[in-house]
Amino acid sequence: MFNKKFRSAYLVTSVLTVLSLAGCADSDAGSNGALQVSGSTTVAPVAADAAQALKADGLDITVATQGGSAGGISQLAAGQINIAMSSKPLAKEDKAANPDTDFLSTQIGADAVGVIVTKKVADAGVKNLTADQVRDLFEGKIKNWSELGGPDLEVFVYDKEPGRGTREVLDKYIYGDEKAPPPPKSGNFAIVGGNLETRNKLESTPGAVAPLSTSFIEGRDKLAAVTLDGIEASPENIASGKYPMSRPLYLLTDGKPKGSAKKFIDYVLTDKGQKLMTKHGYLTLKEIGK
Amino acid sequence: MTTETLTRPPVAPDTGGRPRPSKWIWTWLYAGAFAVAALLLVVVGYLGAGIAGGHVDWMELLTESAWSPTNSVFGGLAMIYGTAVVCALALVIAVPVSWGAAVALSEYLPPRLARPLRMCVELLAAVPSIVYGLIGIMVLRPVISKIADVPGGDSLAAAGIVLAVMITPTIVAVSVDALTAVPDRVREAAYSLGLTRREVVRSAVLPPARSGMRAAVLLGLARALGEAIAVFLVVGRADGRLPTSFGEFLDSLSHPGQTLTTKLAGPEPVLAGTSGPYFAAICGLGLVLLALVAAATVWGTRGRDRGAASERPLKFRGTARLRQQRDRLVMTLRLGALLLPSLLLVGMLALLVTRGSSAFDPSFWFTSATGAAGGGVRDQIVGTVLLIATTGILALPLGFGAGILIGIHASERTARVLQTVTVILGGAPTILLGLAGFVILSTTMGWGRSWLAGAIVLVPVVVPVIALTTSARVRSIPAELTESAMSLGLTRAQYVRSVVVPYTWPATITGLLLGLARAAGETAPLLFTATVFFGAPMVPSGIVESPVQALPTHIFTLSQDSGDPQAVTQAWGSAMVLVLITAVLLSAAVALRNRFEGERWTT
Repeated sequence: MFNKKFRSAYLVTSVLTVLSLAGCADSDAGSNGALQVSGSTTVAPVAADAAQALKADGLDITVATQGGSAGGISQLAAGQINIAMSSKPLAKEDKAANPDTDFLSTQIGADAVGVIVTKKVADAGVKNLTADQVRDLFEGKIKNWSELGGPDLEVFVYDKEPGRGTREVLDKYIYGDEKAPPPPKSGNFAIVGGNLETRNKLESTPGAVAPLSTSFIEGRDKLAAVTLDGIEASPENIASGKYPMSRPLYLLTDGKPKGSAKKFIDYVLTDKGQKLMTKHGYLTLKEIGK
Repeated sequence: MTTETLTRPPVAPDTGGRPRPSKWIWTWLYAGAFAVAALLLVVVGYLGAGIAGGHVDWMELLTESAWSPTNSVFGGLAMIYGTAVVCALALVIAVPVSWGAAVALSEYLPPRLARPLRMCVELLAAVPSIVYGLIGIMVLRPVISKIADVPGGDSLAAAGIVLAVMITPTIVAVSVDALTAVPDRVREAAYSLGLTRREVVRSAVLPPARSGMRAAVLLGLARALGEAIAVFLVVGRADGRLPTSFGEFLDSLSHPGQTLTTKLAGPEPVLAGTSGPYFAAICGLGLVLLALVAAATVWGTRGRDRGAASERPLKFRGTARLRQQRDRLVMTLRLGALLLPSLLLVGMLALLVTRGSSAFDPSFWFTSATGAAGGGVRDQIVGTVLLIATTGILALPLGFGAGILIGIHASERTARVLQTVTVILGGAPTILLGLAGFVILSTTMGWGRSWLAGAIVLVPVVVPVIALTTSARVRSIPAELTESAMSLGLTRAQYVRSVVVPYTWPATITGLLLGLARAAGETAPLLFTATVFFGAPMVPSGIVESPVQALPTHIFTLSQDSGDPQAVTQAWGSAMVLVLITAVLLSAAVALRNRFEGERWTT
């Protein structure tokens, strides 16, 4: 029953917990905790591998991807993380929204966003798209692949959720500096989050189209990237800036990186770290001539 | 024969064990009740503050279908439509099946069979929603895609079916309670009139049980409205689509949509910052959601308290024909309805056991993850245990205090108000709790992602369960106990300390375990506040910026990236581990309950 022993045991446990909490709070109020990295799912695999490699040196690094690039940037500005991963350059709006933050971007490589279609569609003849065609696809004006010389198959659009770097690259390509319109009121339209989720949905949906980093479809025989205005997403075209949907990849810090943040960024910039870019299908700084 | 008078030798008054004045009792009780009210106020308050921080055009929010932050258009109609469709679909599927199953369970099956089945249903009601979501994404999407001949399979229909499966156990459990509360003499009287079983159920059993069964539906509806994660995984998340004709409506069912909860569970709360019109619009959506859920919960629990209220005048129905045949038909239907959830349970278990077989390998429990989806889930298990243990320690005194206060409070009205507040808090969509935690603890207080923030946002999930089970038990204290305590001259505080607390604590512990079982499976509140996917240390070393990894969020991330077979295996394995953990908590609760009292105190 509810006897004294039980009660005192409970009291002791809760007091101990509170004390240990207080103790923790005291000893770790500084910045000794883990280095927090968050943001773009495109950069995340590289960051995760680098974190794994640096674990041996006693660095604690956490990698999260809630909210994509823009999520990372707003969390960095709010002081919740130490390094933001971004797959898009910092926009004017980001700076304007966070005037107190001294954003410092370090480019770590480059990547190409492809307009990805299923193999079936590509094999039937949809190998190249113009900017206008891509826009009509994503606005729901083109409803069947036969309109583009493909098979008689309904188009199913997967767009990235707001704040994802991939989506901003696509918006920039088809709308330039204009604002993107609201999503189309079409039945064959859904929203996806991270890159792996996008790839999974593309593969399971015949007639699907989505913007996705081309590195994520390497070795996937069900998917293909189309050329844009006749330009292929080859390393040369990305390096020369000819390919319209290439983008730099960044690690962002608030002010100059210090301590473990500096170690982390420096590691990614070394030869070993740059090899990780190649491993995950991105271009190293050397390859794009920087 | 001589009679003897029994006499008792006088005993010197006991000097040692007099209860002390126990003034602290009141502090504790009021602290508990105050905490419940404060938690609710915090959730409502932060939504209100967000709305006040930027202008919300309510007309636009409720009637405009386009949502486009870049163009400053904030219309929530598409999400409200999605929520309505998904919930209506869930109810249409779940209600007939659940009611049929409940009647079969209580009126048709022999008690020997019904008892274990009832327990299974209760266990099913506590399966974490992330597990339902996982099953939905792996099993249901392909099926929908094939049947409706649409690509992908992410659709409002898929979400509705997942929700129907989720709320069926809740509706069955509460309906069975209402049915068993009908006294047996009613049935006996009806049978003795020569009625068939169908007629007995229809004219004698159902009328007094009807309000309770209706309450069951409303509670199920509240759960469906507030569910974020399971829906998020299968709904497709596309806003801005509203049908204009019936054909389009049917068509929209098999296509992606958006609900209020999935909008809030997406990336937008993180992007919206903490003030301005964007944030205000998000808070507006939250408030709409909270109002809907609160209405359903309050209405549901009210209906049950009232009991059989409306006496309808009897109608003469005429002499029925084919009575035997009808009776047999109805019996088949009801037993069939019972078969459906049973099959579901067996199917789900089989799926979990076969796909999640890695969970039976001890090394899966005791090694930490390597890379994204390799190795075991030790860190996630430790994180989950840490979260629920802390939550339990924080929630136990608060819930216990609040529950006793609700149970013994002299004024009927205060008790009712407190009870309502507790019920609303218990039904509050957990995604809102998570967002409140994100805005208040993580952002404003600067904790970042912190395990303690996660434990704190889980407290409102557990406290109401403890408080409601405790108060139910307090009300069942026999009057003699109270009277003898009073006649011994105990103050109210001493009475609480020496009579109420010892009498109630088994119920309180049961409530705690039930609440923790629910908290262990919660995903939505942790996503923004406490967990990361990769690289958190097993045991956090501080509070600020000290995330953990937890099983539900681990499954959530893995199941979104479900292309990788290794990730799929790990997701199923983690789901199995999570189910085992909740099952242990629940079995402990059920065992405790059966030992101390044979009656259900839940929901």
